[in-house]
Amino acid sequence: MDHFARLGLPAALDLDAAALDRAYFALQRQWHPDRFVAKPPEDRVRASAEAASVNEAYRTLKDPLSRAFYMAGMAGVDLPGDGKTIDDPDLLMEAMEAREALHDADTPEAVDKLAVEARQDVHKALAELASLFLANDRAAIRKTLLRLRYLDKFAEEARARRMNIDRSNA
Amino acid sequence: MAYSEKLIDHYENPRNIGSFDKTAEDVGTGLVGAPACGDVMKLQIKVGADGLIEDAKFKTFGCGSAIASSSLVTEWVKGKTIDEAETIKNTDIARHLALPPVKIHCSVLAEDAIKAAIADYRSKATKKAE
Repeated sequence: MDHFARLGLPAALDLDAAALDRAYFALQRQWHPDRFVAKPPEDRVRASAEAASVNEAYRTLKDPLSRAFYMAGMAGVDLPGDGKTIDDPDLLMEAMEAREALHDADTPEAVDKLAVEARQDVHKALAELASLFLANDRAAIRKTLLRLRYLDKFAEEARARRMNIDRSNA
Repeated sequence: MAYSEKLIDHYENPRNIGSFDKTAEDVGTGLVGAPACGDVMKLQIKVGADGLIEDAKFKTFGCGSAIASSSLVTEWVKGKTIDEAETIKNTDIARHLALPPVKIHCSVLAEDAIKAAIADYRSKATKKAE
């Protein structure tokens, strides 16, 4: 059973966050170990396995990027794993230029501006991804997900850069 | 985790940071990335009329091991022919810097970067010859 089915939700990228929370908390209650203390051992084992699956499903689907990668796996999109390299020039040039701009940004305002732009790019890319999943365009899904990986990394680096600037100004 | 002195030295005093004009005929550019960790590495070689790599530059955004791996490769390739430079293996880089197992992929990135730079230089040379 896939993570969406596990939570009784449609397999969609633009999952309703509130519906996801509701489904998760309901199932968590249903399989909570406290409700199985007086039950036979096989029921207790089952409940703990169900609870673990529900937790994993929730963890995977809660974050939009992680959800997108999971859906890509379901759709059979081939993504490079740990230690695999890529040489897509457009994507890497964009990532390189963004990181250079961040490196040169030396005020909190300059860093925030770049971070805001990157967040907008993430939203746009996620919206594109939703229609790419509908069209099952695997090559484009792959490319967009790799771009999202780099945008996500950029956001992380922007937070670190911001903290460094704040600390040196303090 | 304990890092080797060589690795720390390359990380703290990286050699050959910078860029060449990527459109120049005597320059080969390799741009590679490891999406799983969000690293991006640019490695460039400048090849002299005698066929030897006379200079190399790099720019890497990534962890210390990725920076050290690319720094080391730019040092190694200088004075070599492109055929010699092409034989550099990630295992040589990893061994020299004593990279911990979880950082082996950084040396893979550096090997792929120099190979890509050489391929770029060769394709320019072929076009020029045509």
